Amino acid sequence: MGPATLVFWIASVVALAGGLGVVLFKEPIRNVLSLVVVMLSLAVLFLLLSAQFVFVVQVIVYAGAVMVLFLFVITLLGPVREQTTVRLPWQVFISAVAIAGFAGFLVAMLRGVTYRAPDAGDPLLPLFGSVQAIGLGLFTDYLFPFELTSILLLVAAIGAIYLSRGPRARGPK
Amino acid sequence: MRFLDASTIQVGGEQLDVSWFLLLAAALFVLGAIGVLIRRNPLVMLICVELMLNAVNLTLVAFSRQLNNREGQLFALMTMTVAAAEAVVGLAILVDIFRVRDLEDIDELSELKG
Repeated sequence: MGPATLVFWIASVVALAGGLGVVLFKEPIRNVLSLVVVMLSLAVLFLLLSAQFVFVVQVIVYAGAVMVLFLFVITLLGPVREQTTVRLPWQVFISAVAIAGFAGFLVAMLRGVTYRAPDAGDPLLPLFGSVQAIGLGLFTDYLFPFELTSILLLVAAIGAIYLSRGPRARGPK
Repeated sequence: MRFLDASTIQVGGEQLDVSWFLLLAAALFVLGAIGVLIRRNPLVMLICVELMLNAVNLTLVAFSRQLNNREGQLFALMTMTVAAAEAVVGLAILVDIFRVRDLEDIDELSELKG
């Protein structure tokens, strides 16, 4: 077992442990910090898959900015207790059945995957996954979706500002 | 130790099986789905949705590497953008709700009154 395999297993185990933490911890701040652990180990896996730019974006934007946003909201809202009573009957049972079915479906689907042959070219070229390759894709073939995401971000920012101004500032109903 | 039809990638002189990346992504996605279904705190449900989106990103990047194709990475970046927008709007809605009442259970939001 060489170093790459070792890195993969360590990162996977850490990611799964973080995922369990996201689901099981009772205090929201621990959920968020577990999610940061998951994201950082996924970033390691991205680097293992030679996706350098996605790795950097994952660390800076996701584990940095988005998670800080979650932490800000948690500090703003204060501690929230979570009710353990379930109002709907059979809710846990139905959830368990749905999850088991979904997991079985995923595994069955993964077992049936037949891989397409890789595209031409050497993936170990230094350009693969670099900023040049990503930028070239974003500004030539995928220019239109790229511009659409900028509109999406603008709409999201305006919506967030509007929502967080409070009901009084929005004027009479 | 091969689970699926073989598709290995070369990483640092070693053969890694892409299917293990896909299995890890599936496991994380299922964990996120469990969280969305069993947790009652809306904030934690949002966090679990983020976990699911991250798992999808891992799948996209793994296929991008296996197919030697950059489009998977482009899609992963788009997913990150959408996830950021979703988090911002969802958190703003939560802050707005918490301003009106102290919410402990997502089921308390079953009526459409402000």
